[in-house]
Amino acid sequence: MVRIKSPFLRWLLIGLAVAFSIGIAALSIYLVRLDGEVRVRFAGVRWVLPAQVYAAPLELYPGAPISVDVLRHELDRLGYRSSDDLVGPGTYVASGNELKIDTRAFAFWDGPQSEMRIAIRGDGKSLANIRAMGSDQPVDLLRLDPMLIGSVYPSHSGEDRILVKLDEVPPLLPATLMLVEDRNFEHHIGISFRGILRAAMANVRAGHTVQGASTLTQQLIRNLFLSNEQTFKRKITEMFMALLLERHVSKSEILEAYLNEVWLGQDGARAIHGFGLASQFYFNKPLNELQPQEIATLVGIVKGPTVFNPRRYAKRVQERRDLVLKLMAEAGLIRDDELEVAQLQPLGVVRSASGGVERYPAYIDLVRRQLKGLYREEDLNGEGLRIFTTLDPRAQEALEARIVADLPDLEKSRRLPADTLQAAGVVTSVEGGEVLAMVGDRNTRFPGFNRALDSKRPIGSLAKPFVYLTALEQPERYNLQSILQDAAIDLKMPNGQHWAPKNYDRQLHGAVPLYAALAKSYNLPTIQLGLDVGVERVHDTIEAAGFQDPPTLPSMFIGAIDMAPFDVAQMYSTLAASGYLTPLLAIREVQTKDGEPLSRYSFKLKQTLPEGPVYLTTWAMQKVIEFGTARWAVSVLPAGQRFAGKTGTTDDDRDSWFAGFGADRVAVVWVGRDDNKPVGLDGAAGALRIWGRLMRDISARGIDLTLPANIEEAQIDPQSGLRADEGCAGALTIPFIVGTVPEAYADCANARESSPLQWLKDIFK
Amino acid sequence: MTRVFWIALSRVVLCASALLAAACVSQPVDTGTPTPAPQPESVPPVVTPPEKLPEPQPPVAKPAPSTGDYPKTIQAAGASAGVLALYRQAQASRSAGKFDAALGQLERALRIEPRNPFIWQALAEVHLQAKNAEQATGAAQKSSSYARGNPYLEAGNWRLIGAARLMLGDAPGARHANARADELAADPATAP
Repeated sequence: MVRIKSPFLRWLLIGLAVAFSIGIAALSIYLVRLDGEVRVRFAGVRWVLPAQVYAAPLELYPGAPISVDVLRHELDRLGYRSSDDLVGPGTYVASGNELKIDTRAFAFWDGPQSEMRIAIRGDGKSLANIRAMGSDQPVDLLRLDPMLIGSVYPSHSGEDRILVKLDEVPPLLPATLMLVEDRNFEHHIGISFRGILRAAMANVRAGHTVQGASTLTQQLIRNLFLSNEQTFKRKITEMFMALLLERHVSKSEILEAYLNEVWLGQDGARAIHGFGLASQFYFNKPLNELQPQEIATLVGIVKGPTVFNPRRYAKRVQERRDLVLKLMAEAGLIRDDELEVAQLQPLGVVRSASGGVERYPAYIDLVRRQLKGLYREEDLNGEGLRIFTTLDPRAQEALEARIVADLPDLEKSRRLPADTLQAAGVVTSVEGGEVLAMVGDRNTRFPGFNRALDSKRPIGSLAKPFVYLTALEQPERYNLQSILQDAAIDLKMPNGQHWAPKNYDRQLHGAVPLYAALAKSYNLPTIQLGLDVGVERVHDTIEAAGFQDPPTLPSMFIGAIDMAPFDVAQMYSTLAASGYLTPLLAIREVQTKDGEPLSRYSFKLKQTLPEGPVYLTTWAMQKVIEFGTARWAVSVLPAGQRFAGKTGTTDDDRDSWFAGFGADRVAVVWVGRDDNKPVGLDGAAGALRIWGRLMRDISARGIDLTLPANIEEAQIDPQSGLRADEGCAGALTIPFIVGTVPEAYADCANARESSPLQWLKDIFK
Repeated sequence: MTRVFWIALSRVVLCASALLAAACVSQPVDTGTPTPAPQPESVPPVVTPPEKLPEPQPPVAKPAPSTGDYPKTIQAAGASAGVLALYRQAQASRSAGKFDAALGQLERALRIEPRNPFIWQALAEVHLQAKNAEQATGAAQKSSSYARGNPYLEAGNWRLIGAARLMLGDAPGARHANARADELAADPATAP
């Protein structure tokens, strides 16, 4: 035994031994605690899974009113790839009037639809024929996969992702990822000494940090559990945690977690996490359809999504992509000919605007609000619900295009500075009350103030149809031909002030038939009519149409009611649907993340307004377009089809409105200024221009002219408002509630007894 | 009342046109030449109407078709293959007690043909079976709105409304609805 003679040395050694033991003990305790923490925390990793929001799927069936060109456009929007051959789901072959499509499998609410290869023939305007390839069986009906249009992610972290499973990921992706980020991943113990050595040498050579030595495991630990600060302590903790994690969890679990966790980009406040979402975000298609060069791009971005933002630094990212492709070829992941093809491809990143996700901020805003009442915030943010909406991408695109194209024209026509005007619009379906499209800002991608929902402005003459409807609900007193007096009004209000409204043209027009007073939007006969039927009744009609608590003042008759375009769409929908109120809905179905149905929102309808008077009101609203304030629309609407609508203008032309409908679509458009200054546009000169072309662009169908059961038509002499026959020149055919046709004949009518029986006798004479 | 009259009138007009048409094609009879009794197979299936008929003048714009013209089923009404497929699926779902699925399928069909009264009626039937009386009533009324006077549909809708009213505890209302249905079923042409 060695004797240490120096007492100093002896004490030093003892001290060291004790310190060492304490150190070991402390480290052990630290590691044990860290180990527990790693296990518990990794087991408890619950991915924040924002709800995924989908547009309505496109239904394909023989006779579907969609041309092959439009269908092709739809496929492009869904990220289908045009090629010479069907090479897998998400590809199509186009030749003339024929399309061959390999559709993607999709789990719809009512069941899965598997991948299908179909051949479609069009006949110019519609789909003539759909056949399953191979069997050549006719296909009656199928759906394309719906477009992913957004997600409901938590506002505090902004974390958005689409969860992927390792076995669903194309194998080339993890292989490339390991190749570029962590070559030794499959063999190391969580940290890689070889990697550290290599990085250290590279850094020494360069004189500064050029290479990190973090393994995928370490990167995952950092992203999951640690802050992003560059401290020595954090680095040590990260290394230990990586070592510990590898003892508990398999390599494939680590890899899968990494694929879902890694941050790959930023979209405003929204953080793009994981390859599943990144694939949609950059390439607008699912991960399993990525080409080698697209996989190379995504893996290249991992190094630094800010520095390698492909939308900002396309050249830099393309260089990095080509470098990754070269590595892939060297490692034998792709063949040399594949390398050559891949390097020739453009970067292929979709413009952020045309990427499906976050494309329709106003619509997504509506979806969020409607969901808020139905689900808890944390379920929406984190449970990965799948939300199927009623958004019709074709209608949405048309509405956006119109607003973007027409506002500058309107500004020029009124010599307003560019970007003075703002606009909002809503399109809904008549049956079912589905919200098909919504725009809340002329900058249609701007997720700010949503004018379609929140800009409450006076609606002007849009209120008038409800005054006339209230009157026509009393058929013993009023019909479309009833003569109203357009005469001055001076009302003493309860507060002692006088209210002396004027017509828009400041003229008086004398005696006018009821329907013409609406068509020409005269204020004074409308107010007279409203006073006659009573403010309370008009109030009730407006409530029955779907707007709660309108004011009970006579000024309401000519539109002193503040409403958002969405509110107007609700009220006009009730008219369009023959008096059936259907709450406007943007959500059809909600599924859990595993595809289990959670809830469905069925068409809800209740008759709140009588069908006959609604028919008569709609008839008068057709005259608005035929010869009234909205005549201009005839020039753009399809010939021979009838549409009903109403212009709305507020004091000094501050707000320009148009709301109207055909058989299947309701559309409301507002144009004005945020500062509420006059814009010099009445409803016809402003909003109507957008509305008319919009209805044309979305191929809205004209009103069905079949008479409801309790309506009959009669020939009326416009001069007297009495019945006419062939003796009267210029007689009009006017609909009446059955049994209320005037009995007396006009003077012009033939003197003989002109009864239907007489007419019958004439036939058989 | 007026409507009943016009339906009757339209029948008269139809008869008249049929008579005129018969006059045109049966010329051999007029010449007095004896003709062999027509073989059933040789009867031409389509009788071309004469060029000019007295044009009925309004007041009523569209003469109501005679009862025989009204389709009794969605198949006979000429719905598209896609809609028929969904209609069949919905019937299967309904028989299996999967009301939600049936509603979803019928709503899909309505998006394709929003004014098809047979689909609205089927929707009302499912709502009724799912014990949703209010929605059943709404959908049945909607079906009648689009039925264009089809008495078969209207009778069915009144029965549905009757059943829905009963479910809501409105016995007199139910009796009234059923009476309307009975009238339509007894004489589809003349019921109010």
